[in-house]
Amino acid sequence: MKKWRYDSARDLDQAPIDRLRQFPREPDMLVYGLRSICALIIRGLLRIYNRFDIVGHENLRTNRSLVIVANHCSHLDTLCLLAALPLRKLHCAFPAAASDYFFQSVPRLWAAAVLVNALPFGRHSRTRASLTTCSDLLANPGTILIIFPEGTRSTTGEINDFKSGIGALVAGRDISVVPCFIDGTFRAWPKGRRVPTPRKIRLIVGDPRNYRGRQTDKIDICAIAAELREAVSELRQTNGSH
Amino acid sequence: MSPQNALHDPVFRAYFVIVLVSLAVGGAVLAFVRFILKKETASMFKTYWSWILMAGIGLVVVFLGRIPTIAGVTLLAIYGFKEFARASGLYRDWWMTGAVYAGIVTVGVASLVSHPRGEEPGSGWYGFFVAVPVFAIALILLIPILRNRARGELQRMSLAIVGFIYMGWMFGHLGFLANARNAYGFVCFIIFATAVTDVAAFTFGKIFGRHPLRSEISPNKTWEGALGAFGVAMILPWLLRFSFPFFGPRDLILTGLIVGIGGQLGDLSISVIKRDIGTKDMAATIPGHGGILDRIDSLIYAAPLFMHMAGYYHPLK
Repeated sequence: MKKWRYDSARDLDQAPIDRLRQFPREPDMLVYGLRSICALIIRGLLRIYNRFDIVGHENLRTNRSLVIVANHCSHLDTLCLLAALPLRKLHCAFPAAASDYFFQSVPRLWAAAVLVNALPFGRHSRTRASLTTCSDLLANPGTILIIFPEGTRSTTGEINDFKSGIGALVAGRDISVVPCFIDGTFRAWPKGRRVPTPRKIRLIVGDPRNYRGRQTDKIDICAIAAELREAVSELRQTNGSH
Repeated sequence: MSPQNALHDPVFRAYFVIVLVSLAVGGAVLAFVRFILKKETASMFKTYWSWILMAGIGLVVVFLGRIPTIAGVTLLAIYGFKEFARASGLYRDWWMTGAVYAGIVTVGVASLVSHPRGEEPGSGWYGFFVAVPVFAIALILLIPILRNRARGELQRMSLAIVGFIYMGWMFGHLGFLANARNAYGFVCFIIFATAVTDVAAFTFGKIFGRHPLRSEISPNKTWEGALGAFGVAMILPWLLRFSFPFFGPRDLILTGLIVGIGGQLGDLSISVIKRDIGTKDMAATIPGHGGILDRIDSLIYAAPLFMHMAGYYHPLK
């Protein structure tokens, strides 16, 4: 008889916490199941508690890789963007989350890795390595990357400058970038507040853009970041923010 | 079983004290080795802290009653199977793992519900419980047919069936024991006795171990450790006779044999799987112990054999 070939998981010798910390994670049926159930509950809660609604939904319906770029003032932003995706896309959607904030304490780590399938992103160190991880992920068709290029939650509700890393990620590549504006999360759950309040939240999804023809030098990269910020603030103006 | 019963049950209260005393004695021995003999004990202390945590969780779950006990055993079985699936690579096949999870949950449900026409006394549907493997295996065999695929399917089916029978059904007997008339005695005894036997095997092996027990399967186990554990297992039922006052000498000897031999066979049979896959531990879930599966492996043999032995000589429910 020939030997059976076993194909063990690569992280057998790691403790459960370390398994959550590593990226890419091994797919796990129980985790996927739990994530899907929680996503349904979160969608329901957002609809009822925050009267969540989405404009321009159809811009996210594609089987190609996408980068979603949005303004950031609350943890609710990630949940809203995930709620806008079709449920079957949930496990190939990766919100980039600060590794210094989300990948340290155990409850946050658990929420980031299990509930939102976050990608650990180094804000202060290993930024280049994180960007490489992102662009490797985008090479698989159907990957959705959720990025908040401001780099942190805004404390005023205004849109801060976008970091140039987003430009480096998409310049010269045939990848759709979808700018989004999330309205209301700053009032619903600003930084520093313990529990969200039932304020109305609205997600405006812009038209996809493509930066295939752009150079990857410093000037173009910064220009792309500025253009994307412009696109997001335009969405804010055209949809009558208050 | 319920919190009120547990509070007034002399057997549960006795086990509560026994577990605390055993942990204290274990801690004292470790402290002696560490501070008087000045030996390196860091890894043993890690194992010991995990024992304390597991003992605490186990006591709370049994205290809470029948439903939490069965639910806890089902969760352990699910997690144990998950470790097996990750180690053997079966976890990549969602249909197969899904079928096994469904089977394990069915074992739990069969332990929870009563006979639908009331033909069995008490809770737990024994007739269905022992028949669950038929349905689970039928489901597993159905999967390749449904997806019209044959290549490599025998390996997947075999792994799924072994996984279900070992971690789901055989281990699930521990949950069904919670339906017994003498639930506290049976559940507490079998968990405590297998744990003590494991520790005894380790200790005797460490002190006297010379001759390898099964060199091709588990290089660290020795005949000395196995015999020491067997001796301890033969004495335990007599010492803890209050857990089953209706057991005669024959039953006590059989119980000793089941814990002493069955417990170690369970350990070795998981070692066979690990050895063939080529991994040392199934996972790294419990610090100092390895995976959940490395901890519950002796119960995989001991719990079903003990339950059917007790049920053969005395009415179980």
